[in-house]
Amino acid sequence: MSGERSTARTTLARAGEGLPTGRSVGLAIGALFWAWLVVRWVTIWAGYSEPFFPVAFFEGLATGFENDALVMQQNTGALAPVLDFVAGFWFLFSDVASFVAFAVEYLPTLAEGAWLTVVLTVAGIAFGLVIAVPLSVARVYGGVVTRSLALVYIELIRGTPLLAQLFVIYYGLNMSQYFRGVSSGLLPTTAVWVAIVGFTINSAAYQAEYIRSALESVESGQLTAARAIGLSRIDGIRHVVLPQGLRYAIPGWTNELVYLIKYSSLAAFITVVELFESGRDIAGQTFQYLNIYALLALFYLALVLSATLFMGWVEDRVAIPGLGVRDGRE
Amino acid sequence: MSDQHSGTADGTDTSAATASGTEASDTDTASADAATAGAASQPLLRVEDLQKSYGDETVLRGISFDLDKRDVEVIIGPSGSGKSTMLRCVNRLTEFQGGAIYLDGESVMAMNDNDLRRRVGMVFQDINLFAHLTALQNVTLGLRKVRGMGKEAAREKAMDQLDRVGLASQADSYPAELSGGQKQRVGIARALAMDPELLLFDEPTSALDPELVGEVLEVMRDLAEGGMTMLVVTHEMGFARRAASSLMFLDEGRIVERGPPEQLFDDPEHDRTAEFLQRLTTISEEV
Repeated sequence: MSGERSTARTTLARAGEGLPTGRSVGLAIGALFWAWLVVRWVTIWAGYSEPFFPVAFFEGLATGFENDALVMQQNTGALAPVLDFVAGFWFLFSDVASFVAFAVEYLPTLAEGAWLTVVLTVAGIAFGLVIAVPLSVARVYGGVVTRSLALVYIELIRGTPLLAQLFVIYYGLNMSQYFRGVSSGLLPTTAVWVAIVGFTINSAAYQAEYIRSALESVESGQLTAARAIGLSRIDGIRHVVLPQGLRYAIPGWTNELVYLIKYSSLAAFITVVELFESGRDIAGQTFQYLNIYALLALFYLALVLSATLFMGWVEDRVAIPGLGVRDGRE
Repeated sequence: MSDQHSGTADGTDTSAATASGTEASDTDTASADAATAGAASQPLLRVEDLQKSYGDETVLRGISFDLDKRDVEVIIGPSGSGKSTMLRCVNRLTEFQGGAIYLDGESVMAMNDNDLRRRVGMVFQDINLFAHLTALQNVTLGLRKVRGMGKEAAREKAMDQLDRVGLASQADSYPAELSGGQKQRVGIARALAMDPELLLFDEPTSALDPELVGEVLEVMRDLAEGGMTMLVVTHEMGFARRAASSLMFLDEGRIVERGPPEQLFDDPEHDRTAEFLQRLTTISEEV
């Protein structure tokens, strides 16, 4: 019994040894995905939106498999049970081929939507960070007034739905009017700008909370030591506390990035045709709900995994011996 | 525990002692002033009737003493006696409620915090090296951001300071890669780099493993011999005996006794001083 278990354990351990290869496979897939996506964007901007791979080929494959399976099922000879069994697989292949055909046909449209998803996420998280850092510093080190202001902002934003916030600034405040000047030609539509404002406001509050807890985990002696060599409080925070706190914040902050990739789909409700909305358009035309939402899910998964991998790389890149979680885990 | 009680039992005796101690130091400075006949020579640090409390709890109950340039004052006393608090009052890491502190004749209350701390360096018990910076960067940060030195000049000066504490070879190590003793030496180099007029040491070896204490004390002795003015809270009696120009015994926020180390070690005026020193030596012998 125990022998069996230990064999199982060795097998598991061996599988673990194989993991680095799994990681490189993942990286390779990621690289392929992004290479395709970037090339796709460029060709779309250049005016070419046709699929890179022949849809008809996969459709033919699907029909071929299906026809063969139907023929197999009609056999009544001695081999009938075997053929029936094989036919099951042929139907499956047919389904896969028709899903691929579907994907190949609509991926260009989704890629176009994914561009806006990436823009919304990157802009929202980046501008949000710019606001979140002073906000979290105010929350931790501010006086009564700044601390209260930061607290009210953070709790107000975190306490209300993102969709409601988008509706308020888009429909309620009609914020589009301020972006007319920057929405011509290749520039994004006014709704995209409004969505970026919304995500920035919203994400800043969440990021500030992640950063706040990271700042609080920086030992207080660090700031005291900074003050003791003559740095002002604000300089001490800037040169000593923040460089450490922001490193501590990376894992939590990655979480916010992952959320924002998916929450950016709410921009669909203020007329932005990002990834989710472009998928919904396709569903409306084709009624192939299962296919399109499965495809969308895969697309979001690819984006999220890319973001996670990227942030893991960043974390390693800025890691300092003895500082942060990575080192403690060893 | 029982020692503590006997300590408080002769409380009246203590206050009398403090009063006489204060008087003594007052007359000392008076005569010193007379000797220099009104010349600009004044103590580098003058603490006058320093009082400090945290809420209802009084920590310092009127501390007065002078410290001349090149003097090394070692402060001892039981935990909670106000040693660290007093140090922190000197560079205003903590505010005090009564009395005054003068650095080279200038009240620290009238000085800008950052200017004061540029002139008064501090070394901490828990070291507090900047965890995200290398040993070299720990030293250059103040030079670059406080004194506005250029990158190369700061680097050069910092390397000199690291060399002074024997750690030039570890310049690119991060704090986590250094031993406790090495960290504290970097801490000293960081404080030295600002060219302080006065260095405060807040139990610099208390957090270190016993075998690492020596290297830090050695650096401190070198500094003392080099003429650095130092105010040192420590219970390393060997250091006090060899390097201190004066020893101060603090208890319950008052100076119980102050004088040359030999005097306090060999012929203390107060029983409590004798008792406390006795205990310190016994402990260090046991260790």
